[in-house]
Amino acid sequence: MPTTNTASLTVPAEVESVTRCTEFVAAWVAAAGFPLARVPELELVIEEVVVNICQHAYGDAPGEIEFFCASSSSRDLVLEFIDSGKPFNMLTLPAPDFTAEVEQRQVGGLGVPLVRAMVETATYRRESNRNILRLSVRLAR
Amino acid sequence: MECKLREIANVALIQVAGRIDHTTAKAFEDALSPHVAGCAGEEKILLLDFSGVTFISSAGLRVLMIAAKQCRKQKGKIALAALQPMIQEVFQISRFDSLFEVFPTVRAALQAISPAAVSAYDGQ
Repeated sequence: MPTTNTASLTVPAEVESVTRCTEFVAAWVAAAGFPLARVPELELVIEEVVVNICQHAYGDAPGEIEFFCASSSSRDLVLEFIDSGKPFNMLTLPAPDFTAEVEQRQVGGLGVPLVRAMVETATYRRESNRNILRLSVRLAR
Repeated sequence: MECKLREIANVALIQVAGRIDHTTAKAFEDALSPHVAGCAGEEKILLLDFSGVTFISSAGLRVLMIAAKQCRKQKGKIALAALQPMIQEVFQISRFDSLFEVFPTVRAALQAISPAAVSAYDGQ
């Protein structure tokens, strides 16, 4: 990643890995001297992304997720998730109809809209048979 | 995640505390389920006190959505009170704040949904 203070972690592609990733990024944010106010939002982003990768890219089959975090500026954190599952761009998943009444509202499908709302930018690319999702999050004003 | 029940007149007040994420959503669903089943008409109104909830992800929203659908089917009422800022933000993004009645405090909720319950609450 063309950024500074890069740290990485590789975890099994299973939802139980979420906690390891969130603890890892919380420690990184603290060590980098960023304010901790947005750590809960980061935890939310990480949970939603990891769960989506496990379910859709790997279809709950075994695999790994490489997880990178880095500072791209004095106020922005970049998170990158790399997996070797089938091609899966979660950014193209359709959002549920937020205006529907309770009876018509879809159950589920809220993870990616939450991620989109919490991050500054989100990009996806498929490279060398790997899905690469890059998110940038503003940690400081 | 912990849920404690407090019966106040015709209101089942569920005091929820902790994180509602992918690891705890099932326990939250199991704890909520019997109360949702009894949530019908004015006989039993469900109020979730979220003052102790520090985190919610889409896994938790899913449980709330299922509960809301079932309550609606039974013509019952479900409301929430005392959302912390992170939960409020998630509710605004997902527009759950327009699906659920959300009140700033438990007392404000009781006042709006059950005169009998607010009297009992004030008398305690």
